[in-house]
Amino acid sequence: MKKHVRTLNTRDLKKSLKKGGCGECQTSCQSACKTSCTVGNQSCEAVK
Amino acid sequence: MIHCYQNNGVNIVMDVESGGVHVVDDLSYLLIPALEPVFMREHSEEEVLSAAFCVLRENAGQEAEMTGNDASEVAGYQKEEIEEVVSEIISLYEEDLLYTSDVYEKAIESFQKREIVVKALCLHVAHDCNLACKYCFAEEGEYHGRRALMDLETGKKALDFLVANSGLRKNLEVDFFGGEPLMNWEVVKELVSYGRSIEEANGKKFRFTLTTNGILLNDEILAFLNKEMHNVVLSIDGRKNVNDHMRPFRGGQGSYDTIVPKFQKVAESRDQMNYYVRGTYTHYNTDFSEDVLHLADLGFKQISVEPVVAEDSEDYALRESDLDTLCAQYDELAREMISRRKEGKGFNFFHFMIDLSGGPCVYKRLSGCGAGTEYLAVTPWGDLYPCHQFVGQEEFCLGNVTEGINRKDIVESFAACNVYTKESCKNCFAKYYCSGGCMANSQHFTGNINGTYEIGCALQKKRVECAIMLQAVED
Repeated sequence: MKKHVRTLNTRDLKKSLKKGGCGECQTSCQSACKTSCTVGNQSCEAVK
Repeated sequence: MIHCYQNNGVNIVMDVESGGVHVVDDLSYLLIPALEPVFMREHSEEEVLSAAFCVLRENAGQEAEMTGNDASEVAGYQKEEIEEVVSEIISLYEEDLLYTSDVYEKAIESFQKREIVVKALCLHVAHDCNLACKYCFAEEGEYHGRRALMDLETGKKALDFLVANSGLRKNLEVDFFGGEPLMNWEVVKELVSYGRSIEEANGKKFRFTLTTNGILLNDEILAFLNKEMHNVVLSIDGRKNVNDHMRPFRGGQGSYDTIVPKFQKVAESRDQMNYYVRGTYTHYNTDFSEDVLHLADLGFKQISVEPVVAEDSEDYALRESDLDTLCAQYDELAREMISRRKEGKGFNFFHFMIDLSGGPCVYKRLSGCGAGTEYLAVTPWGDLYPCHQFVGQEEFCLGNVTEGINRKDIVESFAACNVYTKESCKNCFAKYYCSGGCMANSQHFTGNINGTYEIGCALQKKRVECAIMLQAVED
């Protein structure tokens, strides 16, 4: 437990390098953006 | 690479390459960026501590290289506290959560050599519209071309094309888009039925979505949408005067009063989930947070309001001089969202949503939305384009649903586009959240899908900062 730093629970991008790339996730513009690409808010189908 | 920023009184450090996000106290916020060069070379704990003392002395206007590190205070900070902070920074570094380096470039090169499969279609079932929205990139539904409705046979061929080109992907997405798709409702219904009929035999699952202006919505259509549509996007800009200025009927009268009760009914009937009210803000409502809050006040819980994308010559186009105001609006919106959540009146704002723990893998983050490769748009007569925003630009026509793709060169150029092919993205903190931005916007503003649409980029970065701050406050 750190006293000066609080680390949020985030997905380890380096680990996703090994297991990612299945392509089952939602296409960005099919949700609610039709004019600005937003990818970070998509969810991974594999870790649901 | 790290990115440090303060928002709403929160000190945030993003470790860009690992995806790590840290909320830190003031001393850590001062030391973490200043110590980065030390961690880029061989270093000992003593060297880090000594460098921290130098940083603090310099910051206090003192001579950096003072002797006497055995004093109990350095530049007004307790030495014990500095040692604690340095120890925690070293610990983060050793856990690969701070000062990490980019290891993805080679991986994306091999990822791009993968077999390209199509998994999503934007079906333009109607190049016609019953509204005349001033900012419409579809030119009132016609996409610089002729008015047309997709016939059932063309739609079926599109779904067959999707299934045949989707490889092993199970989940296939089809968005009914326009123009206004409800102007071709019978074909929408028939296509959903056809899609369902070919799912099992092909081992696929269609996720249908529909984007509508709401004018033709009725109870029968709503019942069908609720049964079959994974998501429904409802177009409305916000306050009545704002909406009606940009979203009039062809005769000039506003659409707000017609659509609001219908949209409220949709939202409630879907239990306030799996829909979005989606608006566009322009130079005429740079105070767009008021429109988001207005939609929230109308009872909507899933809200998306995006910046308009328009030629500089348009009077409603956003301009560089709007940026400070727009960024302040995002800050204001984020603060108000925190406040409303505390009062039990929370809502989701699409562009502040970020899935830190379960978000996309790095491949998705590097390669972006998939336009031109896994996501294609289909015109009413069956032509294929890289996405809905390219429709009507014939030089980007990829082929058609009958003969398939005959411009593999264009597909390959989209497949090759990623964060590393965009110069301005390489050293940007937001690159794994926006994935290099919208390729259509890049093309429209720079003539190159690898270019940077500056206004969109600046707003995207602001939204990422706000989104992460919201997570930090709530975590």
